Formats: sequence, C-alpha cells, structure tokens
Amino acid sequence: MNTIASQFTQSASSRLQSEYADAQRDFSNAPQLNLAPTIELPPISQPTEFLRAHTDDASNPDCKIKIAHGTTTLAFRFQGGIVVAVDSRATAGNWIASQTVNKVIRINPFLLGTMAGGAADCQYWETWLGTQCRLHELREKERISVAAASKILGNLVYQYKGMGLSMGTMVCGYTKKEGPAIYYVDSDGTRMKGDLFCVGSGQTFAYGVLDSEYKWDLSVEEALYLGKRSILAATHRDAYSGGSINLYHVTENGWIYHGNHNVGDIFYDIKEKEQSFNNVDA
Amino acid sequence: MTTIASEYGNENNSVPIEHRFNPYSDNGGTVLGIAGEDFAILAGDTRIVSGYNIDSRYEPKVFDVGDNIVMTANGFAADGAALIDRFKSAFKWYKFDNNNKKLTIQSAARYIQHLLYGKRFFPFYVSTLIAGLDEEGKGAVYSYDPVGSYEREQCRAGGAAASLIMPFLDNQVNFKNQFEPGSDGRVKKPLRYLSLEEVLALVRDAFTSATERHIQVGDGLEVLIVTKDGIKKVYYPLKRD
Amino acid sequence: MDIILGVRLQDCTLVATSKAATRGISVLKANDDKTRILNTHNLLAYTGEAGDTVQFAEYIQANIQLYLMRENDTELSPKATALFVRNQLATSLRSRKPYQVNVLIGGYDTKTDVPALSWIDYLGTHVELPYAAHGYAAFYCSSLFDRHYRKDMDLEAGLDLLRMCVKELEMRMPIDFKGVYVKVVGKDGVRAIEL
Repeated sequence: MNTIASQFTQSASSRLQSEYADAQRDFSNAPQLNLAPTIELPPISQPTEFLRAHTDDASNPDCKIKIAHGTTTLAFRFQGGIVVAVDSRATAGNWIASQTVNKVIRINPFLLGTMAGGAADCQYWETWLGTQCRLHELREKERISVAAASKILGNLVYQYKGMGLSMGTMVCGYTKKEGPAIYYVDSDGTRMKGDLFCVGSGQTFAYGVLDSEYKWDLSVEEALYLGKRSILAATHRDAYSGGSINLYHVTENGWIYHGNHNVGDIFYDIKEKEQSFNNVDA
Repeated sequence: MTTIASEYGNENNSVPIEHRFNPYSDNGGTVLGIAGEDFAILAGDTRIVSGYNIDSRYEPKVFDVGDNIVMTANGFAADGAALIDRFKSAFKWYKFDNNNKKLTIQSAARYIQHLLYGKRFFPFYVSTLIAGLDEEGKGAVYSYDPVGSYEREQCRAGGAAASLIMPFLDNQVNFKNQFEPGSDGRVKKPLRYLSLEEVLALVRDAFTSATERHIQVGDGLEVLIVTKDGIKKVYYPLKRD
Repeated sequence: MDIILGVRLQDCTLVATSKAATRGISVLKANDDKTRILNTHNLLAYTGEAGDTVQFAEYIQANIQLYLMRENDTELSPKATALFVRNQLATSLRSRKPYQVNVLIGGYDTKTDVPALSWIDYLGTHVELPYAAHGYAAFYCSSLFDRHYRKDMDLEAGLDLLRMCVKELEMRMPIDFKGVYVKVVGKDGVRAIEL
C-alpha cells in the first residue's frame, strides 16, 4: 500500500494509533476552524424560508430587508492576457443604493474576483478567499493557482447551497503554469473554466457586443476598449446596471487598473466617435 | 417530538405548532453622514415611531463608540441597539487585549462587516453608518447594507428618508449635475471640500425638509461632529408634528 | 436541458454528452465535458442540478480511485461501480439535502470481456440497458434506439446510430446544445472520438 492511500485508510489495529490519528486530524483542522466564520441562524425549523420571506424581493415585494442585486460584469481571455470590466451600480428594489460600488475585488496582485448578485456575499467571501490564498502561499511557499483559488470559493459556496447565498463571480488571474485563466463560480455551486464570460442582469447585452467583435488576436488597447464598450452597452439597456465602468488588464506581471469611466461622461463621446447608439438623439 | 392536540378534538398533530416568526419592526427615523477635509459628521433625528404612534421625541441614535469613531444603526431600533452594543463590547476587549492600541476607522469598518455578516441568515434590519478620521486625518464615512457590504463615501443618508435626502446630497456635496455657468452643461463644477459651517447648514436643510415630507422624521436633530480634537454633540429642534 | 446518451455495442460502450453549459437564458460554455473517468474501464456521465453534478461526480471519482490505491490496483468491475454509485445516490436521497444527479455509467468488464451500460437516476433507480438516455433527449432517442439498435453492432454502426440521434435532436429540440462529445469505453480503456 502506498503512502497516499495509507493516509486515508483507517487501521483500527491499535487504540493509541487511532487516538493519535484523531488528535492529528483535529490539530490540522484547527487553523481552518479558527478562521471559518460562524453565522447565526434564526431559531426556527426552516431558516431558509424565513430568509426568503424577509429578504427576497422577487417572492415578497414588501419585504423589509432589501439586499442589493443587479449588475453587469465581464471577463475574457485574449492574446494579451485577460480583460475584466464591470459596472458600479447597486440597486435595492427600484432604489439605486449606490453608483460607486467597487465590483472588482483585488484578491492579491495576481488575482481578481468580480462581483454580481448579493453585494455582501461577494464582498465577504472574496475577501475571505484572499486570506485563504495568502495562507496557501505561506504554507506552500508558492502562489496559489487560479484553479485552486476558484475551487476554494466554489466548495465554500457549495456548502451553503440552498441557504440563499446569491453570487455570480469570475475568478481571474495569471500563474506560470496556467497562463491567464478565468473560472466562473456561482452560488449554486457551478464552477467552470472558460475564455469569455458575462455575468449579471445585463449579461445578455454585454454578450451581444462582446461576441460580435471578439477575436483572440485583439491588441491590448482594442481589448480594453471592447470590454468597456460591452459594459456601456449593458448600462444603456439594463436599468439595473449603470454608474461607471471599472477596467482591468491581467498580465503575467499581475493586474493593471485601467481607471474608472463614468457612463455619463463617455456615452456621447463614444456615440459620436463610433456613430453608434442611433436610437439616441445627439 | 412533542404532540399537540389540534382544534379537531382528538386528532393529533405530529409536529409542534409554529407561529409565523416575525422578529422585525420598523422604528423609522433617518440618519446622515458627511465627511469633510479634516472632520466628519453623523446626524440623526431623535424621533422613534412604531406604526403611526410616536413613541419618543428624544431617543438619541448616534453614538460615540470610542477612539474618535461615531456610529449609528438605523431601522429596527432593537437590532440597531444590539449591533452597537456588540461593537462597543468588542471594542472594549480590543483595547484590553492589545495594550490600549488605537482602533483605526478602517479596522472598525471591517469589523462591523463581520458583525453584520455574522447574521447573514438572520439579518440585523438596519442601515449602518460610521464616521471618523482616517490615518491621514481626513474625514471618513463608511456605509453598510443590512448584511455587511460596505463602502467608504463622502456622504450617505440612511433610514426612512434616505430616498429624500440622498439626491439632495449628491447635488450639494458631490455637485452632481452641476455645471460651470455659461459652459452650456459641458464643464462640470469642480469638486471641493465643504467647510464645517457649510456641512452643518446642509444637514439642517436636509432634516427640516425631510421633516416636512416624511411622517417618521422630526422632533429633534442630533449631530455628532468628529475632529482631531474630539467629538462634539449639537442639538437642533425640528418640527414636532 | 443537458443531453446524455449511452449505447452498448458488441465490444465497447459509447457515451455521448452535450457540450453546452447553460445558466438561465445564456449558454456560458460551449465546450463543457459532462463526464468523469472513474478508472481505466469506467466512465461516468452526469446531468442534473447545477453544482451537485460536478461535486457528486468528483466525489465518486475520488472514492473509486481511493479503492484502486487501497486494493493494490484492483479495478472495480462495471457492475460493482454502478452498484456503488447507486448506493451513494440512495443514501443521499434519504439525507437532508440529496444530490439531484442522474447518471449513465459506461464500462467494460476486463474479466469477462463484456461491455456494460448502467442507467441510474437521483432516486437510486438502477437498470442495466443496451441503450439509455436521461432527460428530454430520452423522449426523442428511445424510439430511435428501439427501431435501429441491433445487438451485434460494431463501433462504426454505433457511431452511425449516435449520428442519427444527434441529427434528430438538432432538428427537434428547441435549444441548441452545441453538439456532443463522444467517448468510447472498450478493452483498451476510455478514449474520445469525433462523431
């Protein structure tokens, strides 16, 4: 029997041995337990229904607690790395809670996470993911792969499946062995690798523009513009998206921030330059 | 599992009867935070309502929670009080465990995210604001949703009249949709820090106006002003109808 | 809805799975592989609830491989593999949160030189069949299999049969499933094949 198998094989041969194994397992679990947050539940038999009744806007429009939803985010791989673009609007029902939300979470200098769905869920668990990635670095003396980072998040949200978490996120990054990589992770536990994703209520509008002009051989400048333009298209058609556009470029040297672009400021410039948006008068 | 007799005589129910669990109410009121260059303010009205009853005309809801940080949690008063209690007690332990180390506003902000998200599946029904000075001495306001998503901002209104006050603040603090005269709407009015006097005037206008148009706002306005010299509390009466 | 088809042939088993991964009204991925190799002669294809599918498949995969390590590289037969998977689903069904996953297992028994195909649903129903499908694809393909399947089909005939199925599905299904990946499980293990 090899060493890997023996680690996972119970031998009931001696009590002392099993006690030692138990203690060792507890010890190795302990640091994670300390970091894992504890979350309170309402003292009733169906906590999930309680949460839905009080926070789900769709099933109960008069619900008191409005959780922010609605977004457009995108990321795509191309010849020069990855482009990430997002809008910045947060809505609670019809109320625009904020036009200045930061929907790209900087997990570390090589990893970005995007945010769609519940603002708090994404913000909280992606910063938590940042700590897990740092712990990986300290333990393994090596930066975490995008595959592994996204799997930590995917497995975490899968544990909470059915409890009402709401997130659609893309974990984007660059490592030596993987090159540029994008993983889509959402709160029903889906995790998949891909070249191009749009996520959020405005995803279809972003796909429309992005798919029509996307090529692998795009230059960095063209790719950044296409990312920005696709989000602009979504903010134009999707009432739940808007505010401003945050742009990022992920390269082998980590991510580079390409600024905040106010929709109100750039719309007419782009319309004039492209001779597009002909549904709108000048 | 206990067995409880149902209303149909000797028919038995195998599950305990559970009434619809509604632990929330709305106590109205509204709050407002604005950050200046070297100060920050947090203001709130002092009325408490339940339904159409006014339960109190003076119940402060903006608190000095220590280390030059002020905090408020508006919405369901019991949850607001519970949240602030939890913060204060954690603050006490932080000072005790860390040789009286100063709690920075960033750290306080992140900790409050954890307090709120710790009840993700049984949320505090509150909109939370904190204000203070950052490590450069600049004014800072942080705002939260009920489950802990947060953001640092120049200004934020929360609570019942947030939708009345916030557009006013966008226009008067961040100069949204204001342009240079004669530029034909092409040159934006440049941003600048407001003075404390200007901010206090805005806050009073915001609350007197909200009092005119919102039934849950009125009676009194209490403003906590944070500067490097400490926290000052001022009170202005509002209409009591 | 995802498509998974399986056909047992004379000396191998074919498994076909659709390439589209759909969430809501968008196809998020057009090259999604809905299969996992359990050991050299067993392949698991899956459909069902998002999230549950991959978690379940990888859990089964890990356990089958653990068995391989513990038992000195003794492979579980297709029958034993299927019974193990069925048992896991049946146990899960009686838990607080069951896996909602339907699977096909294509296998090849190296001891008896017999190919095998198992149909298992999330309720733990297990049947060994000559040809099988899950979901809406079953409504179109079952009759087609009934009409055209023969016991003594070779690989080429099997692939022809799958081509007929895909053609029918492309013609009648309202949703584009982006074609299928086809895997052959035979004497020499699992290999992918172009349809």
